[in-house]
Amino acid sequence: MSFRGAMIGAAFGIFLFYLVLILSLFYFVGGKGFWEALLNPYTLYSIRLSLTAATLATFLAIIIALPSAYALSRFDFRGKDLIDAFLEIPLILSPIALGASFLVFFNTPLGDLIQNKGIFFVFEIPGIILAQFATVAGLATRLMKASLDEISPRYEAVARSLGSSPWQTFYLITLPLSFRGLLASVILSWAKAVGEFGATVTLAGAMPGKTETMPIAIFTALASANIEKAVILILVLVLLGIIALYGVRLTGKRFRYD
Amino acid sequence: MIKVEGLTIILKSFKLFNINLEINQGDFHYLLGPTGSGKTLILESIIGLHKPRKGKIWIEGKQVQNFSPEKREISYVPQDLALFPHMKVKENILYGIRARNLPLKDYEPYINDLISIMKLEGLLDRYPARLSGGEKKRVALLRGLASKPKLLLLDEPFTGLDPGIKFEIQQLLKAIHDSFRPTILCVTHDFEEAYSLADRITVFIDGKVEQVGTKEEIFLRPKSKKVAQFLGLRNIYRAEFLKRDENCQRHFWGLNGLLLSIPPDLYAGGDKEIDVFIRPEEVMILREGKPVKESLKKNIFEGEILDFIDKGGYRLINFQTKEGKVNFEINIPNYAFRNLELWKGKKVKIALRDESFWVLNNQLNVKEN
Repeated sequence: MSFRGAMIGAAFGIFLFYLVLILSLFYFVGGKGFWEALLNPYTLYSIRLSLTAATLATFLAIIIALPSAYALSRFDFRGKDLIDAFLEIPLILSPIALGASFLVFFNTPLGDLIQNKGIFFVFEIPGIILAQFATVAGLATRLMKASLDEISPRYEAVARSLGSSPWQTFYLITLPLSFRGLLASVILSWAKAVGEFGATVTLAGAMPGKTETMPIAIFTALASANIEKAVILILVLVLLGIIALYGVRLTGKRFRYD
Repeated sequence: MIKVEGLTIILKSFKLFNINLEINQGDFHYLLGPTGSGKTLILESIIGLHKPRKGKIWIEGKQVQNFSPEKREISYVPQDLALFPHMKVKENILYGIRARNLPLKDYEPYINDLISIMKLEGLLDRYPARLSGGEKKRVALLRGLASKPKLLLLDEPFTGLDPGIKFEIQQLLKAIHDSFRPTILCVTHDFEEAYSLADRITVFIDGKVEQVGTKEEIFLRPKSKKVAQFLGLRNIYRAEFLKRDENCQRHFWGLNGLLLSIPPDLYAGGDKEIDVFIRPEEVMILREGKPVKESLKKNIFEGEILDFIDKGGYRLINFQTKEGKVNFEINIPNYAFRNLELWKGKKVKIALRDESFWVLNNQLNVKEN
């Protein structure tokens, strides 16, 4: 086999591997229990909950990730390397460990104070958002930093010399130029938040109709041998994933100036 | 007047100490130095992108070293131009006017003049990605000039252009400068470019200002061997003092067995050794049998033509003296080359005019520094 053939063969191999995995789901589609499972209020609730929580968590993550990414991309400051390394913790740490750390934290006097005087997180919906936020904030910062790194700081230097303040420059130059990458980062972070399981289940629990997000519902459905429910939720997740990835591709086509 | 005084910049491994610059209002001033000497760093410090460790920057009498870049009224055209890719040419050009909230009405006639000089009328609605290299340069220069900054900084503005387009844009920029007299500080290592555009030049080598002056002063009377060598000047020799004549009209210097007679007003005197630069275009090749003027008789040397190169407008001749085997480069116009009937190996005599001597690194020059 030629070199080129071997490489392309490998690419097709990995594609087929995932394709078979997804197509196998359709073996269970269309049965009587399938539609019942889809229209079950708990299923619909977990879909709604997942989408709402992930959107909120991503939104919160972006608020902190965008300025952090900008700082890491553009400025030299003490502790930069340390912060950069810390961002990877949610990527390498097991999600369950992350969720468990939250449980531990909320048992400390400070955590206790937050829960009593502020918001209750443990086994509550805010817990889902917090868990997803924790998983996604580091990733979003990383992805956004990469997009900002691609934009030469010279554009900003020229804009500043022409009379723009740093805020104006960010809004008029940096944001539009990196928009494609930033939007892709948001979409990928959101998709990651939707699929988050370990940290969420540990911190917020798995109460149907309360804290049961889609991935948690898949887990509990399998645990109770409800294949149809598991399949429908997997398919919804796959569909969301495909839409997200297609969105990322689409941003690649628009917002290009070269 | 733009003045930089005692600028000290320390940035990672780069260190520049005590840099002084003076740019007259309305001048096209060149900061000329080899690549990697820190010229861009100086430029970026003047804009305000780096905070200098020490030093002051005056712009028209106002100290600005603590101002943020947008408050300095200095425009900047970087080497890669950095045209905003998401804005059309017109939006790029007007960026500074809008950012500074300047009344467009007052600037419109001036900007329209610039657009027409730069021949950009047909390109205003294009995005930068659809412009050629030369068009991009013109837009970037115009964007820098549009808001009438107190100083325009150009970083190697003509690199990466074909010679024809480079020349054309240089002429356009010169035309704009002649009409509107913006104060420009341009950084380059290209001394030919500096020679054709500069009013004044600051030569910057190894982190130090080596010489400041008009282009004639820099190119015809370089102060040091360093400057001369950077400018690509050849025919630099170390000569030893031998004697002076009774009337003190001439000094005699030894160069590898040759006796050079040099007018003493070129140096302060007292030197035991000097570096003498002999201008290749001022060396004469004598025609056989023709009487020689009295003024030329002081420095006549016999020798042989080793080689010559056709440089387009002139010939560069490699001549070696019979005595001492000293090599001289001589430039002569093509017509003179033909009239003299020169060939490789031909034995000829050369005469060094007084105008061909320039003394480097001597006490007189050091004092002026």
